[in-house]
Amino acid sequence: MSNPTVDWGRVGDRYYRKIKLYEDVFDPELELENYIVAGAPYAGAIALYRDESKLQTWRTTQSAKTGIDIYSCAGKLIRRINWDKGSIKGLGWSEEEKLLVVTEDGVVRCYVDLQNDFSQFSLGHEAEEYGVKSCKFWASGLVALLNNNRLIAVTQYTNPRPKLLAAVPTESEIHSWGIIPPQHTNSRSVEVLLAIGQSIYVVDTSETEDRMLQNGPFHHISISPNGRFVALYTEDGKVWVVSSDFQEKLSEYDSKAKTIPRDVQWCGNNSVALAWEDEIHMVGPSGASLKYFYDSWIHLLPDVDGVRLITGDACEFLQKVPDETEEVFKLGSTAPASVLLDAVDQLEKKSPKADDNIQLIRSNLDEAIDVCINAAGQEYSIPWQKQLLKAASFGKSVLDLYNSDEFVNICETLRVLNAVRDYRIGLPLTYDQYLRLTPARLIQRLINRHEHLLAIKVSNYLRLPTDKIYIHWACQKVRTSKEDEDTICKTVVKKLSDKNGVSFEVIARAAYDEGRATLATQLLNYEARAGKQVPLLLSMNEDNLALDKAIESGDTDLIFFVLLQMKSKLPLSSFFRMLSTRPLASSLVEASAASKDRSLLKDLYYQDDRAIASSNLLLSDALSSPSLSTAIDKLKLSHRTLAESKDPSAVIHQKHLVETQQLLKAQESLARDLDTSYIGLSLNETLNRLIRNGYSKRATKLQSDFHVPEKIYAWIRLRALVSARNFGELEELAKARKSVIGWEVYFEEILAAGNTRLAGSFVSKCSHLTAQQRSEMLVKCGLIVEAGRELVKVKDLPGLEALRDKTGAGADGVEVERMISGLKGGRR
Amino acid sequence: MLNYADQIKEKVRKDLLNLLEGVRGKKNLVVDEDLAGPLGLVSKYSTLQQYGVDKVFFLERKNIDASQKNVVFLSRGESADRALAIAEQIKRLQQESQIEHEFSVFIAPRRTLVANKIFEEAGVLGDISVEEFPLYFLPMDVDVLSLELEHSFADLFLHRDPTCIYTAARALMLVQQKHGLFPRIIGKGDGAHRLMEMLFRMRTEASVDDKSTKSTLGTLPSAVIESLIIIDRDVDFGTVLLTQLTYDGLLDEVLGIKDNQIEADTAIVGPPPGQQNATTQSALKRKLTIDSSDKLYEQLRDANFAVIGPLLNKVARRLQTDMQNRHSNMTTAELRQFVNNLPGLQAEQQSLKVHTGLAEDMMKFTRNTTFTRVLEIQQNLAAGVDPSTQHDAIEELIAKDTPLLTVLRLLCLESCFFGGLKAKDLEHFKTLILQAYGYQHILTLDALERMQLLFVRTGNIFSNATSQATTVSKTNYNYLRKTLRLLVDEVNESEPNDIAYVYSGYAPLSVRLVQCVLQKQYLLSFTKSSSSGSSSSKSQPPSTPGISSAAHGWQGFEDALKAAKGQTFNKIQKGADEAVTKARAVLGGGGTGGKKTVVVFFVGGITRAEIAALRLLERDNPIRDILICTTSIITGNKMIDAALEARTFGGYGE
Repeated sequence: MSNPTVDWGRVGDRYYRKIKLYEDVFDPELELENYIVAGAPYAGAIALYRDESKLQTWRTTQSAKTGIDIYSCAGKLIRRINWDKGSIKGLGWSEEEKLLVVTEDGVVRCYVDLQNDFSQFSLGHEAEEYGVKSCKFWASGLVALLNNNRLIAVTQYTNPRPKLLAAVPTESEIHSWGIIPPQHTNSRSVEVLLAIGQSIYVVDTSETEDRMLQNGPFHHISISPNGRFVALYTEDGKVWVVSSDFQEKLSEYDSKAKTIPRDVQWCGNNSVALAWEDEIHMVGPSGASLKYFYDSWIHLLPDVDGVRLITGDACEFLQKVPDETEEVFKLGSTAPASVLLDAVDQLEKKSPKADDNIQLIRSNLDEAIDVCINAAGQEYSIPWQKQLLKAASFGKSVLDLYNSDEFVNICETLRVLNAVRDYRIGLPLTYDQYLRLTPARLIQRLINRHEHLLAIKVSNYLRLPTDKIYIHWACQKVRTSKEDEDTICKTVVKKLSDKNGVSFEVIARAAYDEGRATLATQLLNYEARAGKQVPLLLSMNEDNLALDKAIESGDTDLIFFVLLQMKSKLPLSSFFRMLSTRPLASSLVEASAASKDRSLLKDLYYQDDRAIASSNLLLSDALSSPSLSTAIDKLKLSHRTLAESKDPSAVIHQKHLVETQQLLKAQESLARDLDTSYIGLSLNETLNRLIRNGYSKRATKLQSDFHVPEKIYAWIRLRALVSARNFGELEELAKARKSVIGWEVYFEEILAAGNTRLAGSFVSKCSHLTAQQRSEMLVKCGLIVEAGRELVKVKDLPGLEALRDKTGAGADGVEVERMISGLKGGRR
Repeated sequence: MLNYADQIKEKVRKDLLNLLEGVRGKKNLVVDEDLAGPLGLVSKYSTLQQYGVDKVFFLERKNIDASQKNVVFLSRGESADRALAIAEQIKRLQQESQIEHEFSVFIAPRRTLVANKIFEEAGVLGDISVEEFPLYFLPMDVDVLSLELEHSFADLFLHRDPTCIYTAARALMLVQQKHGLFPRIIGKGDGAHRLMEMLFRMRTEASVDDKSTKSTLGTLPSAVIESLIIIDRDVDFGTVLLTQLTYDGLLDEVLGIKDNQIEADTAIVGPPPGQQNATTQSALKRKLTIDSSDKLYEQLRDANFAVIGPLLNKVARRLQTDMQNRHSNMTTAELRQFVNNLPGLQAEQQSLKVHTGLAEDMMKFTRNTTFTRVLEIQQNLAAGVDPSTQHDAIEELIAKDTPLLTVLRLLCLESCFFGGLKAKDLEHFKTLILQAYGYQHILTLDALERMQLLFVRTGNIFSNATSQATTVSKTNYNYLRKTLRLLVDEVNESEPNDIAYVYSGYAPLSVRLVQCVLQKQYLLSFTKSSSSGSSSSKSQPPSTPGISSAAHGWQGFEDALKAAKGQTFNKIQKGADEAVTKARAVLGGGGTGGKKTVVVFFVGGITRAEIAALRLLERDNPIRDILICTTSIITGNKMIDAALEARTFGGYGE
């Protein structure tokens, strides 16, 4: 076990360490200085592209084609992407490890999964016209600088919308530039820093602002990962660190170099790395520095908490030594954690000093354990991880109470980290990077590298869902397997059948995209969600199947969707034929067509031989007709539709339709003759109006024409006459001997109209009622005397007395009193 | 009881406000009219204003102006018409307006493929941002959730469009997501069966969908919900056609309650508070919110209308004494108490005034001779009297030009209760109706036939034997009237002892079916004793939980169910992990005796009287809470109105 401090270097009062992650990274033949290198954040993949501006020795062995090579950090070639789309002006990565390639004419290609699968969009007209000069990338977007000094920003790649930023002086030369990602700016939109002339300009979506600096031109601008500091490299070889709002100058360092460094990048948030061809200066906060020398070309790949250094034969990571690590390992450290580490060492030597050590730090033991655990997390060397955890474990055993969650957590995480740091995988994540990346995205990275087995193991270990991995595996299998389709289907199904929540639809789509249609259909049958099957089936032209699946899902929206597609695709007759066996689909078509597409409905009814429905449709048209004549025409048509139908209810319908026309015609002639409108009224209303207006004869004619029942007619006449206050005619009616609706209703209606005299005259005709009832009716009319007489007829003495009490004094009272006494007398 | 209603209200409110907040700055809000009322249930206009809403427009009016850069559409997405209207409005604004608008479209309850396609075809998809507004259940009361799909009845039974069942299934899935699987799903009717199947299907689908969100669904049956009972409306159309006789049922019948609001003349209910002095607005209408936040209304709503008068009197007297107490000698503590109570008393007084006004207005309505005639016919039909004896009365109503809805309700009622009308009678009435109300009603009558509300009698429905087939095409009320005792002669209206009080003597079949599951003992007690003497059954206490829990589902009432229309089912949902389920049952689900909830879902609508009946059921069932869910709240008029042809001939302006 080598001393962990051996690769430490001191910058001011801080320590930096340079960890050698992998050796023999690249083919020695590869001349790294001739390549543009871009590294994905969080120890992601590295993309190499031959720098076109550099001369190239021509070799017959190399293929003439240029390409972008994607390597892991350990130098394993993951994928070679052939490139023939012209000059590349920007090569970068997003946080999701999407590779972005920007060409001179403003086309952006976004390679999603480290493979050949890409989406493409254009930066717009202006980029096409003037050409892209260079690009800068942040976690989720990019900014492109055009040759006319305009800037275009894209903030996300799933649904990209390139946006022009505010204009900058077009003629001036831009010495260098940098971007502050949106999450770190006040405006929440990306800000671009441009070194123009002596000064720096800040550009965002709406405005350009000159920061009024005098020490330019600045050859490098670099923004710290947290967006709060900017490093500037001045003409006279100095590095300035200023706050990103340019209000405060934090430090200055004189590199004393004659040549301008090739690259300036932040290493974490508190130091800046300057790179020349084979030399690196680390500049710390107070202007202190550390120098590293190499014998080959170096590339800097900045990350959130450090910088990866790529040379032809090694991949190294340069970072500030984490506080915990420093506390434990710093030479001469007397921190409790350091003592604890020593204690476990003594323990192994079976020395009693172990206990002395523990006693020494007894009071701070829990803190010491915490530090050891965290230091283990920060450690790349597995033996040291073990030693630190051992120390923590030893310390834990001494304490009565200690929450071991963090310990368990770190152990789990370290297992995962060590697994992915293996050179065969090549993801040298630091602990902090792992936390920021999140386990789920780590799994996605493994999937993208086709490390399915490891992905599943890690998922199971961390209790994460595994379905995505299985699906990806199956898609890969479907795409690449040479076996016959049945076997593939069997293998896939066998592997996935007991896995919960696997979407076969995605796999089927992959098969279909690969041109394996039968396999796709086979696989689709295993999809649990009917709804998900539909779109694929539609694109496979399996329309009927798609419709059946949609119906099965019960989602009417989906059914509609399929129906819309089918209607536009199929000839009408086959569309209807397809509907005829599917009642649900048919009724949906019917319901939606009723308001939007009546001709479709007409055809549908005709095809289905639904005479009554067809006829009703025409009747409904008649109702919305603009004029009477068209309405009658429609009614005739409606009537004719039913002519051939043998359905008994069709016969009744026909009769009603004939009457409808008759009535309309009769109303038309009435309107002509009588100068009042009758059209639109119902038959009863027409009769009512005729009677009210005094055309009783016409009403009677209409009644007999339409066979209105006597009873109904009597009611209509009564109500019409009453409402017209035509009491004369009512009196005439009273002369009739019989009434089909009885005389009582006449009494009630007339009484309600307030004509008590006339109402009273009907009472005597209600012969089926008792005298008492009649008497009551008369009382209601105010005819007390007559009421009394009715009672006298049946000799109802108590009734009379009650009547007298109700009436009280007055002429009527006297008369009633007289009747009472008369009755009494009669009895006596 | 789990407070579903408040949870849901809060969620809907939050969803809406979050969506509004997502659109920066001031905005004009465009809602479709169907949605405006339901939204009023969850948030006030002033709240919307706080979230930057400047003006509110109705989509149907097509009058959106360009006063704000941001325009937000809020609409139901199930119907293609709405999406078309939105696309049209967007295009209009884009053409007419000087400024470049930012359009947002919030679609409830989910973004649909069809809407997408419409936007795409209209060429506006690129200019708008579409979001989902997951609006499913709306709380009508603490124990009533409604999807408030106003057209669900017509959709289901006239157009045969089952969209609302799908929506219902999604809504219930959300309940399951929150509270666990329904341990048992019991139901009656084809629509109910469809809903149940969909719930099972969605569960398997959810297990595929939810892998990333790691929801609890798909693993465990609920510990708080006992079962889900689904009743399809078409099992029992008859009940809806009867006039509801509870207070709020009658309010709904007469004035119409929409989204817990009624519109009444200020002359009846008095001017709104705070405007007492305004004498100018005498004949104005006033919108009143009536829900259980009004304590008086809570007491009144489920009471039979016959006892409303005495109830109001009692409250009035109590209030009077409460107010008069202040004149008596009080200690300072009592005085403080009184002053604290004062706002409550004043609110109660205000509410008393309103309800007295409403009750008087209703009283006037019920005294109307037509109303009493209609009620008499209804009661006779419900009692199973030979329907032909009622025909003269119905004819007279037609001759007297009674509103068509009323007449059709009676005819449909006869049709439902007696398995159709005789062909001759039906034809006769059809002719009468066409002559009296116009020939355009050929369409109305046809629609009613398609809805299975008005039809010709086939076969002999009067037989008491149940048919051999497992499902019958029509509900046999004649048989069920006896087996489930739909008719209760002496019903106590002031202190109800049977659900029949809500229709003054007729027990709604739909709720009786629920009783078949929840109150077996009670039902069995009088079906058995009906032969010995029916009076004794009334004094019998409702089911004792110990015995009824032995039988599950429909057990004991299989014959009765055979006589009702549609499929019958009783399914158990098991957890994916059997062991965990058992373990939990042992650990505490079983013995703690906490109240469990039964969810009752009415597919196609429920009446307020039925809600009242279910509440009585809950009262008599101390171990369970009942949560009532429905697609919408309906009345007989709304039901018939779905079929009604509104256009007439004429209006040609000659």
